[in-house]
Formats: sequence, C-alpha cells, structure tokens
Amino acid sequence: MPGWYYDKKELKNTPSAQDGIDYQTEMRYRKEGARFIIDTGIKMDLGYSTSATGVVYFHRFYMFHSFKQFPRYVTACCCLFLAGKVEETPKKCKDIIKTARGLLTDQKFNTFGDDPKEEVMTLERILLQTIKFDLQVEHPYAYLLKYAKCLKGDKVKLNKMVQMAWTFVNDSLCTTLALQWEPEIIAVALMYLAGKLSQFDVIDWTGRTAKHLRWWEMFVEDVTMDLLEDICHQVLDLYSQTPSQSNESPPQNQPRLNPPPSSSVARPSNGQNNPVSPDQPPPMHSSIPPPSDVPTYIYGTFTGAPPPVPGFPGFSAPPMSAPPVPPHMAAPPPGPPPNIAAPPPVFPFVNHPPPFAPPGVPPGANYYQPPNPPHRQFYPPP
Amino acid sequence: MADRSSHFSAPDQTGHEYESLSRIGSGAYGTVYKAKDKRTNRVVALKKVCVALTEDGIPMNTLREIGLLKQLNAHEHPNIVRLLDICYGHRTGKELIMYLVFEHVEQDLGSYIERNPRGFNTIQIKNLSREILNGVDFLHSNRIVHRDLKPQNLLVTFDGHIKLADFGLAKTYDFDMKLTSVVVTLWYRAPEVLLGLPYATPVDVWSIGCIIVELYNLTPLFCGTSEGDQLTTIFRELGRPSETDWPKDNISIKWESFRSIDSTGYMHNFSGNICETAKDLIMRMLTFDPIKRISAMEALNHTYFTEEPINT
Repeated sequence: MPGWYYDKKELKNTPSAQDGIDYQTEMRYRKEGARFIIDTGIKMDLGYSTSATGVVYFHRFYMFHSFKQFPRYVTACCCLFLAGKVEETPKKCKDIIKTARGLLTDQKFNTFGDDPKEEVMTLERILLQTIKFDLQVEHPYAYLLKYAKCLKGDKVKLNKMVQMAWTFVNDSLCTTLALQWEPEIIAVALMYLAGKLSQFDVIDWTGRTAKHLRWWEMFVEDVTMDLLEDICHQVLDLYSQTPSQSNESPPQNQPRLNPPPSSSVARPSNGQNNPVSPDQPPPMHSSIPPPSDVPTYIYGTFTGAPPPVPGFPGFSAPPMSAPPVPPHMAAPPPGPPPNIAAPPPVFPFVNHPPPFAPPGVPPGANYYQPPNPPHRQFYPPP
Repeated sequence: MADRSSHFSAPDQTGHEYESLSRIGSGAYGTVYKAKDKRTNRVVALKKVCVALTEDGIPMNTLREIGLLKQLNAHEHPNIVRLLDICYGHRTGKELIMYLVFEHVEQDLGSYIERNPRGFNTIQIKNLSREILNGVDFLHSNRIVHRDLKPQNLLVTFDGHIKLADFGLAKTYDFDMKLTSVVVTLWYRAPEVLLGLPYATPVDVWSIGCIIVELYNLTPLFCGTSEGDQLTTIFRELGRPSETDWPKDNISIKWESFRSIDSTGYMHNFSGNICETAKDLIMRMLTFDPIKRISAMEALNHTYFTEEPINT
C-alpha cells in the first residue's frame, strides 16, 4: 500500500518525538505495544497474521499520534480488536480486554480508564481514520514461503533456514521495519540473515538466469547489500538490548495528577504532566531487580540469539552468550522444501524458554520464563 | 429523502471538508451526492453509507468491504472509479454514517448513449466494450462480483473512457434492498439471478452482453416488467434453453412453465450492424448456463478484440 513507508528522518520526527518523547523511549513503547499485541494474540488463539496486522496498525497509528496522548496498551488492544475483524478471526472487545487485564499490571491497566470497553470502542473510529481505512496489510510471511519454494539445496538445512527466517519476521514486528520497507524486501533480508546464520548457502534456485547474481534478484529489484545489512541489524539490535531498558514507562507509570478531561478521545495521559526528558536515556538499573511493572519479557529472549558466525563479520555476536543452535531450531523439520507451503516454523515467543538464563538466577528474577509455557505453535496456513 | 446537512467534515489529519452541491441519485444502495472538497475545490461524489453498529463496533463485513475497496483503489486501474477518501458523518448509538468519497465523473453510459442519438461506430463500440470488460475482469480477478452492472453505473469520462462505479459494499446493498421499495432495474440481470439461484462472476458477463448490444442498438435489449416477464423476454429473443441446460437443484421455477416459448429465438435485436464476430462474442456472453458462459478474461481474448480492425 503506497504512503505507509517512512525514511529514518521521519521516524525520528514523529508526533511522540514532537511531544518530548525521546527516540529510544518511543522505540521501546513501540516494541512493548507490539509484544503485547503478539502476546494477547497468542493467549487468545489468534493466528500470526491477525497479530501481525494489528502490530502494523499500531505502528502506523503512532506516525500520526503521540504516545502521550494515546496510551499504548489501549491502542494495542484496539489494533488487535480491529485486526481480528479484518482477518475474519473476530474476538469480542470485552474478551480482549479481559485478556489484556491478565497480561498487564494494575498500573498499566489503569490507562484504560473507568470503562475500558468504551475506551477501546471509541478508539476504533479514530484508529480507522488514522490508518486511512487501509485495512488489508501484507506481511513478509507469505513471501518467505514463496521464495523458499524456489531455493535448491539441502532440504533439512533449507527448512532450518526458513524457520529461523520466520522467527526473525516475527521479531521484526517489534521494530519499525514495517514502516520502512515492503514485506517482500523484509522477507528477502531476513532470509539472507537466516541463511548466513544457519550456514545455508543458496547457490542454485528455480528460475535462475544468467543475469541473476543472487536469488532474490528474481523477486525484488535494486536491493543493495547495504540495505539488506541495515534491515538485518535492525532486527539483531532487538537481541542486544538489555532488559533494564524496559524499566521505565513514564506516561503510564506516573501517578495521575489531573483527572482526564471528559472527552475520551483526546485524553492526555499522565505523561503530559510529567514529560519524559527528551535528552536522557532511561535510567539503567541493571543490578537492581526490576519493579513489578517491568514487562514480563526481555528482548534477548525472543529467540535464541543467533550465534556468531565465523567469517561473517557483518554481524557481531549478541552480548549474551547463546547456544550454537537456538532452541526453536530443535523443532523437527517441517518436511521437505517442495512442500514448504506449510512448514511449521515455530513461533518462538511462546514455547521456548530463554536460551541464556544466567546460571544461578532464579526464573523470573530478571529474565522471562513463561509461567505456563503454552504449547501452541504459530503455524503458517496450509 | 431530505438533504438536511450540507457539510460533511472529516476531522482527520488530511483536513478535508466537503460541501454538498446536489444529490446525484438515490437508489437501492443509499444516496450519492455531488460535493466540493472545500480544501482543493475538487468536485467529488459522496456516497453515503449507513453502517449499523453492533455491540462490537463496526461490523466485520463492512470492514472487509471497505478494506477491499481501498486495496483495489491502490491498483489505480484505469477503468475503475477512484476512491479518494472515507469520512464519518453523523453518529447515533446504533448507526454510523460514513461517506465514501469518489472522483466525480459527470456522465454515465446511459446519458452518453442519449447524447449520441446517431450511435457509435464499430471502433468506438469495441473500445467501450473492451474497457468495460477490462474493469470487470479486474474486479473478478480480485474476487469481486459487481452484480449490478448497467449503463447508469458505467461512467464515461470527458475523453470517452469507461470507469466502473458502484461496486463493493455489496452486502450493504442487499441489506438495504430488502428495506427499500426502490425499483432496481431487471433488464441487465442474468437468468440465474432471476431464477433465484446462487450466482457468481458470470452474472456480470451477462450484463455486459446486454450492454454491448445496447451500444449497437441504442436501446436496451431485454426490457422485462417483472422477474418472470424478464425471463420470458430473454427466452423469446434468444430461444428457450434446452431441458438439459435447465438447473436441477434448488429451483422453484419449472422449465415447463416456458413450454410455449420456441427453442429458437426471434433474434430481433441482432440484425443490422452487428457483425458476425461481435455476434459470436455476444452470444457467448448471453449463454444461459453460467458455467458455459464466457468469462471476462476469455472475452478479452475473443477474435472480436484481437482481429485487425476492419473499418467503418
């Protein structure tokens, strides 16, 4: 859909930025909102495309509104609610709110006000207009599968690569990549990354012609290596962020000083009374156990952090040590690539405990251990 | 229906605001206004859609259809009318008024035919037909059935190009049709619709067949006065379908009830200036059995469109 892509300068000059929220903080809010949509989606048995669509709505919404004006968890619920209807997997608004309540601390849930359902329903119309009714959103998943079908080589390795790329696509939702590049390009870049990390070298593919140097030249034009590396780094950066960065949550955490105005539309959240300092990064509390409202995940645990690959200096090793093969890779191969129409790449957020819990640290102290790891998996459609 | 408010404002970041100029028409689907975008002075067509809100907000079907309209729009197909904006109007507890803002095209194929009493030459007819089929093929490839093709919703631009309008929001139309007593024209309806059978994209091809004949004859092909009369009119002209072609399931109207009609039609409307190739294509479009009917894409590849233009 034209009109929904932004350059880096525009991403740094968002309504939130103009509202005094610094870039790092905004990126964290976006990440938290995206994670929350994904987590809520999983809890409610919604498919990956519904969650992904909701996340894209969320990112687009905040290109027109400030996080100070619209509390992110309310917006996130509304995005998932709308995505459910659009993707024909509708969930009742009150059920989404119920699930959200279970996932959020009381403090965060307070941003929903006295009538949470009304809050979300009112936002629906604003959301629709903000995203200009561009409801159909494409995601990289379908392209990933389409491209994988054309690649030749060891089938087990190819499957591993596709699963890893699928994971990266999931995680990319927590970045603003969907606001920067078309899904085709993100799919290519993350397959390229997965190929490097799983040491799957694509040397031949169906439809190859003499003028093709790289397999993706069959599908996308003018994609430079610099661009691919930039996209990969944006995803890899997620894994290198420390949990302490998610500590602070100014707009929603500060005590509410003034009652909100009667209009539920343009309700300024408390952040307006306690502006975030635009100049200072959020305080680091790496040695202090996070308070109870710290998001119940850290970004290092989305997937196993990819191992450093010798001879591929483009990507530095993530700060935390990782096992050579991320745990989700241990899932049985989904089947030979010609049938890749439905490889079951595991949705890694859910069913894998973090691979790199520091020894001796009790679960839940400063890394995320899902309390009851659900065994649901995020499968692509058949 | 009184046109009470003359201002429709869209409080979004685009800041568009529309001033209603006149009512273009109101039909089964609702009302269409001619309006002016106060910011750009552009004249637009506002289609007023009344959305019944449910306990869970805007219904899923409405969202799906609007999403589809927006998606189609992104393709910028030359034979499809542009959707410029969507904005909200008045809202009550149970209803939300929305305005779909389309580009405004002054004339439709009906008025275009009226303004050209001496008719069109074969090249003009071929071009108009091709453009109609192009637009419809595009809708069909996006799994949209127009269902109400007629000269009145085929717009003709000042330079003579076709733009399809009034597609989508089909379910909304249906809903409204039951509530209003507006007479919807039957003249372009396919037999399967008249027989109350399930239908799909072939219904649009039937309508185009009727419209192409109208381009030659400057008068509608089948002018029935009721659903039964419409079928009788069709069968008299084209011949009654064979008993084997008559649908077996879910049909309340018996083949026997048309026994008095001959199996070969009068073909009154196919003499004159319709050449043999054109006639062959039209007959394939007016095939009784929707399965055997030519598709829009196949029609575009018919000799009628691919042969060297001969002349006139």
